[in-house]
Amino acid sequence: MRRIGLTAILASMLTIAAARADTIRIGAILPLTGPGALIGTQQMRGIQFAIDQANAKGGVHGNKIECVFEDNQAKPDQSILSFNKLTDLQHLQVIFTAYSGPSLAMAPLATRKKVLMVNAGAQADKLATASPYLINTLPTIGDEIAVITKYVIGEGKKKGVILFENDAAGISGRDDYLDAYPKAGGTLVAQEPTQFGQTDFRPALLKLADAKPDVMLVSITAALVNMAQQYKQLGLNFTVAGTTFFQDPDVIKDPAAEGFVHTQIRIEAPPELAAEFKQKFGVEMEFFVRQYYNAMQILMTAMDRLLTDGQPITGENMHDIIFKIRKFQGLIPLEFKTNTATVPLDINMMHNGNDVTIKKMSTD
Amino acid sequence: MLALQLLCNGLATGCALGVVAVTFSLVYSTTKLFHVAHAGVFTLGGYLAWSMTTRGTPFIVALVVAVAVCAATGALIQAWLYARLERRHATHLVILIASLGTLAVMQNIIAAIYSPNILQFSLSWASEVVAGGGSVRLTVIQVLIVVASLAAYGGLMWFAHRTILGKQMRAVASNPFLAEITRLRPRRVHVYVMAIASAVVSVPGVLVPVDLGLQPYNGVTPLLTATIAMIAGGVGSVTGAFVLAVAIAELQNLSLLVIPGEWSIGITFFIFVIFMLFRPTGLFAAVR
Repeated sequence: MRRIGLTAILASMLTIAAARADTIRIGAILPLTGPGALIGTQQMRGIQFAIDQANAKGGVHGNKIECVFEDNQAKPDQSILSFNKLTDLQHLQVIFTAYSGPSLAMAPLATRKKVLMVNAGAQADKLATASPYLINTLPTIGDEIAVITKYVIGEGKKKGVILFENDAAGISGRDDYLDAYPKAGGTLVAQEPTQFGQTDFRPALLKLADAKPDVMLVSITAALVNMAQQYKQLGLNFTVAGTTFFQDPDVIKDPAAEGFVHTQIRIEAPPELAAEFKQKFGVEMEFFVRQYYNAMQILMTAMDRLLTDGQPITGENMHDIIFKIRKFQGLIPLEFKTNTATVPLDINMMHNGNDVTIKKMSTD
Repeated sequence: MLALQLLCNGLATGCALGVVAVTFSLVYSTTKLFHVAHAGVFTLGGYLAWSMTTRGTPFIVALVVAVAVCAATGALIQAWLYARLERRHATHLVILIASLGTLAVMQNIIAAIYSPNILQFSLSWASEVVAGGGSVRLTVIQVLIVVASLAAYGGLMWFAHRTILGKQMRAVASNPFLAEITRLRPRRVHVYVMAIASAVVSVPGVLVPVDLGLQPYNGVTPLLTATIAMIAGGVGSVTGAFVLAVAIAELQNLSLLVIPGEWSIGITFFIFVIFMLFRPTGLFAAVR
């Protein structure tokens, strides 16, 4: 009994010491190499930019913030190793994640270890219910697909085909199209899978084109440039529609993607913030930079509240305080009614190397 | 028209695979080694050409340099690794593992230098569409892949049958002991074979990524297909390997007419398993 009491005192002392430490450490498991590295690097920069800004102003409640980055190459197995390393060896309580497969793989561990996982990039529907400790600061693919299908049907594109990636995110998107498009009044006449990282889309595009669709609904996350170029080379002329994953600078500036339409989560950076980012990193403040910057702001708001209330920064406390605060105003107004935030959504079209907003909507 | 377009795409893919199969078959039939690192040489060619073209080197110069460097790499792998292991009486299984290790090292070095991201060539002429018959559309680079692959296959056949070194290669492949006795110096011939095979495989190694982009692990799937083509075509038959590689690519493309895409690779290889049950020596084994 006495030993248990001593252990409890020691544990509470350690917790208090951790809460009063000069540096608050969090983790981020992102694809920093591999086919997802373009997006992963944007995500890393978004987190680091927010942290650097906060630290320059004295940190959160006087504590500096530090993020430990781990490269998972968008692979679930590598993500598990990284998650265990960050939680067991480095005892981190808050971890950023990206990509659906890795996030879904880590979600049960987050539940078991009560570690808060923050996703600002992946969109598989299962992420909404994968773990009470997984919060999503952007809508699921299903939310976006409901909006884009409504839009294309409204434009008279009532005969559709689906091109999807044969992985968690792609299949989730395919299932959403299968559900939402007929509900909105359209008819799906064909679907074709591709593999993650595959760059030869010609056979799939040809087979889908043979069904003579009005629109091709796309649920792929990698090698979009190759898909666009091969679509152009094959002389196809049906509408190509997708979700926020179309927001790839290389795709947007490629003339082959002219006329592609997609949903776009509305998240804009003030000009002075974007300029500061460009000065620091030498590149534009792209979509996923803004997303992860925004998510980091949410976390810092929650941390500040916890420290003000004298509570330690644990995964459980962070989870509870986020739902207590509920409404956040970072780069966008965002509300946590569930684990997945409600956000504003636009319809964009690629035109002359730019991504132009043509309609404003919402996921609510 | 869909079938014709799929047929043409399959031909472009198949011809490139055919060169991988032919060169792999050439190495295997001469050295009796399962040269898995061939996939690494295939990949290396593309990255070398990409490095040079992004720095303004004309594409044809980049291609020639890539071919030369790949030839040297192949010769070095044979002379410094396989030959040494053979001198120490290493079994073929040990050499296979060494080859796998070499492939892993090459892929990792490439990934470390260039990153594992998909890299694209910036060659606008390559993606220009060449109008085919009817509504068939092929790009310049696809046509170039077909022409270069057929030329590589034809050139290799001519070399093997019409030159002294080619005849020495066939002699070593046919009977290494007799070749040793008659002072053909099989080990030196092995180095030449590896250099020639590596040089030739670097041609599709450069051209295919111009069409589809570069990734460090690009070479593994073509090598797997090439291995199956070599076995199904009849081990030792260069023509068999080429024809079967084209047939596999065509089958994968045309199968889309009747089955969903996720089944095409599985069904294609299932057909070859059945085929091998009835003709285990391969299609061209009897006529080589």
